[in-house]
Amino acid sequence: MSADYERFLVVGAALFALGAIGFLSRRNLILMVLSAEMMLHGIGLSLVTFSKLHHSLEGQAFTVFVLTVAACEAGLALSLILLLYQSKKSLDVNVWTEIREPDLPPPVDSSSPVAEEDLQEFPKLTPAGLQPDVSRFGNQAGRELVSASQKGGQS
Amino acid sequence: MATFGVGLSAMNFLADLAAVADGFSFSHVTLSMASVFSLLVASTLGSEGFLTPEVVLTLIPTAPLLAAAIIALLGKPLLKERSHLVTVAAFLVSFVMSLILMFQDLPAAATQHGPDVVESAVDHEHQKSYGPAVIAPIFEWVNIGSVNVRVDLRADAMTAMMLVMVTGVSLLVALFASGYMHGDPGYPRFFAAVSLFVFSMTMLVLAPSFLMLFVFWEAVGLCSYLLIGFWFKKPSAAAAAKKAFVVNRIGDFGFILGVFLIWVNFGSLNFADVLGRPDKLEALATQSPELVTGICLLLFLGAMGKSAQFPLHVWLPDAMEGPTPVSALIHAATMVTAGVYMVARCTPLFVLAPQAQVVVASVGAITALVAALTALTQHDLKRVMAYSTVSQLGYMFMALGAGAAGKDHATFAVTAAMFHLFTHAYFKALLFLASGSVMHAMGDVIDMRRFSGLKHALPITHWTFLAGAGALAGLPLLAGFWSKDDILAALQTAAEHSPYPGVFKVIFAVAAVTALLTAFYTFRAYFLTFHGPEKFPEEAGHHPHEVTPVMGWPLRILAVCALGIGILVGPLTHWFPSTLGQTPGLSHHEAHGLHFGLMAVSAVIAIAGVGAAFVVYIKGRASIDGLPSKFGPLHKLSLNKFYFDEIFTGAIVLPLRGLAKVAFALDQLLVDPLVDLFGAIPRWISSIPRVLHNGLVSSYAIVMFTGLLVIVLFALQVLAG
Amino acid sequence: MDNSLIQILMPLALGAGAVLWLLPSAKHKPRFIAGILGATSFYFLSSLTHQSGSLERDLMFDVFAAVALVAGAMMVTDKSPAYAALWFALVTLAVCGLFFLQSAPFLAAASVIVYAGAIIVTFLFVLMLASQGGQGSAAYDQRPTHGVFATISAFALLGIVVGSVHTWNPDTNATATTKSVVKRDVAAPKPLSQVAQDQEVAGSLHQLGRSLFGDYLYAVELAGTLLLVASIGAIAIAPRRSQGTL
Repeated sequence: MSADYERFLVVGAALFALGAIGFLSRRNLILMVLSAEMMLHGIGLSLVTFSKLHHSLEGQAFTVFVLTVAACEAGLALSLILLLYQSKKSLDVNVWTEIREPDLPPPVDSSSPVAEEDLQEFPKLTPAGLQPDVSRFGNQAGRELVSASQKGGQS
Repeated sequence: MATFGVGLSAMNFLADLAAVADGFSFSHVTLSMASVFSLLVASTLGSEGFLTPEVVLTLIPTAPLLAAAIIALLGKPLLKERSHLVTVAAFLVSFVMSLILMFQDLPAAATQHGPDVVESAVDHEHQKSYGPAVIAPIFEWVNIGSVNVRVDLRADAMTAMMLVMVTGVSLLVALFASGYMHGDPGYPRFFAAVSLFVFSMTMLVLAPSFLMLFVFWEAVGLCSYLLIGFWFKKPSAAAAAKKAFVVNRIGDFGFILGVFLIWVNFGSLNFADVLGRPDKLEALATQSPELVTGICLLLFLGAMGKSAQFPLHVWLPDAMEGPTPVSALIHAATMVTAGVYMVARCTPLFVLAPQAQVVVASVGAITALVAALTALTQHDLKRVMAYSTVSQLGYMFMALGAGAAGKDHATFAVTAAMFHLFTHAYFKALLFLASGSVMHAMGDVIDMRRFSGLKHALPITHWTFLAGAGALAGLPLLAGFWSKDDILAALQTAAEHSPYPGVFKVIFAVAAVTALLTAFYTFRAYFLTFHGPEKFPEEAGHHPHEVTPVMGWPLRILAVCALGIGILVGPLTHWFPSTLGQTPGLSHHEAHGLHFGLMAVSAVIAIAGVGAAFVVYIKGRASIDGLPSKFGPLHKLSLNKFYFDEIFTGAIVLPLRGLAKVAFALDQLLVDPLVDLFGAIPRWISSIPRVLHNGLVSSYAIVMFTGLLVIVLFALQVLAG
Repeated sequence: MDNSLIQILMPLALGAGAVLWLLPSAKHKPRFIAGILGATSFYFLSSLTHQSGSLERDLMFDVFAAVALVAGAMMVTDKSPAYAALWFALVTLAVCGLFFLQSAPFLAAASVIVYAGAIIVTFLFVLMLASQGGQGSAAYDQRPTHGVFATISAFALLGIVVGSVHTWNPDTNATATTKSVVKRDVAAPKPLSQVAQDQEVAGSLHQLGRSLFGDYLYAVELAGTLLLVASIGAIAIAPRRSQGTL
């Protein structure tokens, strides 16, 4: 059996590159952190490969620490994301533009919001019996449920 | 003896402290004066050695300086209406020290050095002087290479005489001002400025070199500015102060050029090295007489500015915007005489340049005549006195110029000028102070057309003013008579012996005519103010009040001086000429007898002038309103000061303003856009990378990643070799 | 040299094309094209690299690597955040399999527990908390920012790494000392971490434990402290319901 370290290293690098793409191109804060985690996966794989290459367990020990730090980082990052979300009610990273050149205009959001109706496709069911009376709930969720079921029922 | 004096003065001083706590009154002032006086006198009489000549000399300017500092620091918060006590005490100290200097230390120095002054001139050793003088070295200011400038005090006879006059008049004026300025919000500032002024003036006459003279020349100009513009919120006062300073500056330009020439040719600016080296002066005169003439003319330009000679006389009448004590002190007795003092001091230079001397005399003559003609028609009492001052200063310069008669006669001419300076100080200060008391009583109205017949309402002012007017007019046996007589004698000698006989004959005639005019306008002012129907302006209130004692006693003392000092120091005792003759540079003078012919002529002139004024203004009182139309254009010319201010405005001020406008436009159109362009270039350059700072995290991440890529590529390149 | 350059660039270009196709955009793109591109790229890359002799190993590697890469690509390009989190779980599992192939069983287990068990669950919880309650994808998820540029530069970096790894050729240079960039003495040997060459069971737990708690004791303790601090920090930072609506 001959050595095949290179393949693993290539996969590790590819995972890192994909993680980089995700970090750079996504706007959702949570997904950016998730892509960073994927980068750490690629790193870990490379480390383990190197560890086997040099017949030593240093790489694996290093990976244990990487894992530890990744866990801590994820926890803290998510707390911070929640804090940020509470402040601006949005997970978009591009709403945070206070630290910029004061004379420049704020960046324009070029993407348009997606209409609600295009997103979720409710299954078309045949109505089975009487519609339940949810008007007594009196809250938003209840009303949505009623309207959605009515839409579904009318199709 | 000294202990007794100390004890006495201590008791007085304690009483004085109690008085300060109580509040001010004249008696307390006398107490403080007495305490200081007794202390000083007792110390000198006790000859305990405390008051060595150096200490005496140093105290003279130091006391007013300390007073100025104390009032400047503590005046507003602490002393307020009691600031005058510090000033009066300081001036009293200076006056007593000047007397001690004059009557004790200087004769002692004279016996040490001997009367033969010329040989003891030594250069670069500050301890030795040229001629008998008291020297107090203070400190070395600059010592770089061949430039060695010291700050010393040097007092010879001329200086001592000036000091006695300056400190004496200042003391009396300060006393008067404490009453006159009562209630003014700037009371401490006034006395601080006056103290500073007296410090500068005493240092000016105590200067041992041209440089120190110039420094304090400027300093008196500054204090004059501060005092003329004392009520700086009044636009006319601020403008007058500025005018005085600027016109002085024009003179100073000439002065400093003269000083430069002296430095270049003599290598030193000390009086001992320049004026005390007759051999060097003679050599320079024979080598290049134009140079000496040039130096003298440039120095005289400075004197013209400071002493308000034609055409730089325009600032003095406007300077009447300042408080009356300021006019009395600065523009009658002290600052304007600095020019005369300087020219007199430089007599060794001037005697070598007869052309300069004749210029001096001519300018003095023109000034005297123009000023006298202008004073004939002025309504403002203080303006009349101001023009009179200008005219009398012209007299002094006429006398100084009469030294062109030759070295032997120069001493007499200079002595005559200094004598006139001495007597003029007293009676002109008196006249100004009396005008001030009139103004005070009339509610700050000084236009003679608005009041008259004050002799019953203000008796003290009346007789003191009369004494001063008589002295000014040159009525026989009064102070001004003797000094004017000496001047006329000097001019006559010059007309005989000088290289310019015709010019001096004309000048003599001008002097005589001016004497007539002087008598006329002086008594015109007197008759208009104090005689005629009693009329007060509304500002005077119910009843014009006579001066308070603190204002009255200086008037009385000055009046006595105006009456008697001329005869006292002149013909009776010959004290003045013999003392002044000890000044180095003024060779021994021969005793002049009394010139009875001239005395008769000048007496006749004075009485004629008074009589003419009497005729016009007493007898013909009713028709004085018709006089302007009778003399038509002449009257208008005189009333408008011969349009000098307008000429200066048109010829100098307006072109300068135009030039300033051009420069301003150039600055705005050319320089500012250029500078803005330089400022805008970094902004343009920076606007290119600025778009990266858009605050977006994703944008920043992309840029970082790209940078990482570039670095990795670069590193690979390097590694690959 | 040129040949190997083309050999590296072509599969990477195909891979970049696949990811670019997958990037979320306005028009609806069928995803199978990306799948074809990706498969081609994968095939070329695997033919480029040296294969080990045994078939099981190669097959297992192919499966795990393909799953990892496909799931990774799907994760970074999916519009819905919840789906992306689930794709990430799949990536984790695939990487775990690769760990097994590299004789690191403990790490495989640990990474599954930590990532798939803890981190992804936390992510999903936060996603649910912060997603406005069931409205679906937000506007900011629909379009990538700088998608094309990010892809190209990331694949450029990948190309550089792959090229340098390929040049170094660890499969033949394994026994030689590493060509390290920094010429320095090899650090003091860690005796407890070294394993003999002939030992096949190289990643046993016993030996990993000896390495961790022998050579890296301080680091382990510090890591424990770090975990404690991080958990306290996360609790302190996270907003409470009483502070406002979440």
